[in-house]
Amino acid sequence: MSRLLAVYATAIYAFLHLPLLILAIFSFNASRFTVWEGFSLRWYRAALENSQLVEACRNSLVIAAAATLVSTCLGTLCAYGLWKRRSAPITAGLYVSLVTPEVVMGISLLAFYQWLFRYLDVRLGLHTVVAAHVTFCLAYVVLVVLARLRTLEPALEEAAMDLGATEWQAFRRVTLPLLGPGVAAGAMLCFALSFDDYVITSLVAGVDSETLPMVIYAMARRGVSPVVNAVSTIIVFGLGILVLVAERLRQS
Amino acid sequence: MRRRDFTVALAGLAACRTGPPRLNVFNWSDYVAPETIPAFEAEFGVRVRYATYESGEEMLAKVLSGNSGWDVVFPSNSLVEPMREQGLLAPLRHAWLANLDNLDEEFRRPSWDPNLDWCVPYMWGGTGIAYRREVTPPPTGWASLWEERLRGRLTMLDDPAEVLGACLKKLGWSVNSVDPVELRRAGQEARAQKALLRAYVNAEVRDQLVAGDVLAAQLWATTSLQAIEESAALAFVWPEEGFALYADNAAILRESERVELAHRFVDYLLRPEVAAAAAKATKTATTNAKARALLPESFRWNATLYPPPEVLRRGEWFAALPAAAQRLRDRIWTEIRSA
Amino acid sequence: MLAPAAVWMAVFVAAPLGVVAAYSFLTRGPYGGLSEPWTLENYVRLADPLYLRIVARSFRIAAVTTALCLLLGFPLALFLARSGRRKHLLLALVILPFWTSYLVRTYAWMFLLRDTGLVNTLLVEAGLIEQPLPLLYNEGAVILGLVYGHLPFMVLPLFAALERLDRSLIEAAADLGARPLQTLFRVVLPLARPGLVAGALLVFIPCLGAYLTPDLLGGGKTVMVGNLIQNQFTAARDWPFGAAVSLALMALVMLGLAVFLRRGGERFL
Repeated sequence: MSRLLAVYATAIYAFLHLPLLILAIFSFNASRFTVWEGFSLRWYRAALENSQLVEACRNSLVIAAAATLVSTCLGTLCAYGLWKRRSAPITAGLYVSLVTPEVVMGISLLAFYQWLFRYLDVRLGLHTVVAAHVTFCLAYVVLVVLARLRTLEPALEEAAMDLGATEWQAFRRVTLPLLGPGVAAGAMLCFALSFDDYVITSLVAGVDSETLPMVIYAMARRGVSPVVNAVSTIIVFGLGILVLVAERLRQS
Repeated sequence: MRRRDFTVALAGLAACRTGPPRLNVFNWSDYVAPETIPAFEAEFGVRVRYATYESGEEMLAKVLSGNSGWDVVFPSNSLVEPMREQGLLAPLRHAWLANLDNLDEEFRRPSWDPNLDWCVPYMWGGTGIAYRREVTPPPTGWASLWEERLRGRLTMLDDPAEVLGACLKKLGWSVNSVDPVELRRAGQEARAQKALLRAYVNAEVRDQLVAGDVLAAQLWATTSLQAIEESAALAFVWPEEGFALYADNAAILRESERVELAHRFVDYLLRPEVAAAAAKATKTATTNAKARALLPESFRWNATLYPPPEVLRRGEWFAALPAAAQRLRDRIWTEIRSA
Repeated sequence: MLAPAAVWMAVFVAAPLGVVAAYSFLTRGPYGGLSEPWTLENYVRLADPLYLRIVARSFRIAAVTTALCLLLGFPLALFLARSGRRKHLLLALVILPFWTSYLVRTYAWMFLLRDTGLVNTLLVEAGLIEQPLPLLYNEGAVILGLVYGHLPFMVLPLFAALERLDRSLIEAAADLGARPLQTLFRVVLPLARPGLVAGALLVFIPCLGAYLTPDLLGGGKTVMVGNLIQNQFTAARDWPFGAAVSLALMALVMLGLAVFLRRGGERFL
């Protein structure tokens, strides 16, 4: 069975990465079209010289990092709290934020900010985008962490507390390490969701908070531009290297 | 109240430290030449934050709060009146717009703002049919897009106003019709066409025309010209039944705190050499007569961008529509798309 | 423990939705925007078969996508959970494609599926078909795009649940004479159920409200609820009706959730 699974997994990985590979290949295409006309780095040069693109990339990374940090903390605590003690209003709230379509969430936040701005004299900006991202990521983090928590033995924490640990210590030393993969999975999910988000971000972004998906959408809507290919390839390889490095560090 | 004053003071302090004044411009994508903004920044010693949008409604949703942070936006002519009604626009001071006279006669007194109190026309265009030359006989009007020979290789724009506009023109009516009977008939036409239709797409169809996937498409003139520049196998025609026209205008938001600088920017865009550079780079039709005179011959008399008077007469400007008509059109559009 | 999350949700979820709910009872202003009078008209308008058909179609597409993600994702999650030291690396490789823009990946599929795209070109060259297949701009393409976009959201929770599975249980089943497939269906699946349900939820819900995928891959011909709502907030400028559709959709889904919870018994939140 292991063999079968491994073969299947390879096939799925191929399916997942094939479009990316195609993108990467054509980012080196000298021509703008699907006809191969020779190897060229012109699109990479264009991408790196495009200050709008670079700034948008920076914004996206900052926003994703901030949103991941906040929602992972909030979400893990929340999942833990829910595991220990049920709470109907919180659960209802989480369901609602899960169920809300992206457009609706975006519009509702925009309307809410607009109403708020009458009293607070703040503008749309990076902070409003981060807040929006945390809002839609939170429920996902809770879901993943809670699914993980449900497979844990509550007896472990009780045992720790019998041995003299406080509730907080029991959480930190017993449960949290066991939760590790769950929290990591939640954080990765959150980062991906946040970095990739277009709909909600485009609605609540302000003058200084244009993100990469927004710039790419604008470019792509005008027809396929290989600059977009170049940017994506850079991102994937950059992040890929990061992941490899992180894995190396973890293992050593 | 205290907290508010405190915040304002902080903001004021922050503003003092940021250096040169910053102008925030929100425009359609691909609407200026690469050197337009940097040259403005250099000449006036300011910084410009320049961002782009893909649809007028996207822009409208952002600026509706009156607290979006943008100074200059570019609504199309059918949005100018709604924005004015909602108190979003700042009245223009012609004293600060010396270059206003560079505008073409026709755009000095446009129907959507006769005295140019609220906006300044920037670029304009229309919708027609882009097609591949191997389609013979070539399409001549909207009716050609209902022909069986185009089955599966035909696209229309993903825009209710454009699609209904084409159907209405085909039936001999106005693109701005509010008559329920006319609108319903137009809807029927569109649904009949759907069986032949490949997709409702906008600018992305350009690549498909060049590649040969698509034989004919309802497309804006400027996008068509961009496609033709990529491939000589393509051509464009202004439909004989008539067609829709639109104009994008520069407008200053009432919330702007840099009204004078915003005016200077709009005035800068009205300079002949600036407008000409933008028109050439983006392959769009400019509203600026002096700029047009500076364009190379191939652009100045390009029939795709600047149709000759007898063709232009068949064109009709999009207008803002009353709520009931908007509702009906929206319903018909939903019917068409889910048919 | 729960307080920070509670406060956050009150401010950023409850309040904005309250605003949307308020909108749904208003009327469209003469040029878009909002105006009095307060009315139920938007909800009445929803009962039209045109809109109901769109909702039904969305449910169907979302259900098919979820089923496909489950079928495709479960073996992968199983593989990941058993892959020992390389676990996190392999998991990250699953997520990696999703750090590029969703739009870009969708365009990659458009590029692949077009008449002159890679797939058709290969098929024609191999002599399997004569005319290019219309792979793009239909419902199938939309489902493919949705599955591709949502697979990791199925794999991640499944992995999280499967990884913690007690191996001894599986060994015990084997000891008792169960064949691998039997163990799978009788031991592994029930134990992984929280992950399964979480994954299904994470796929079904976003698919219901999807609008970029049906827009781009469906060629504007496949209208789902997400497209309907987005249209109201943009081209149609009818925010009250859009708000009403949104709330109605959410009510439906929550109803479905409630029924599932009551029957299924398993609570995942």
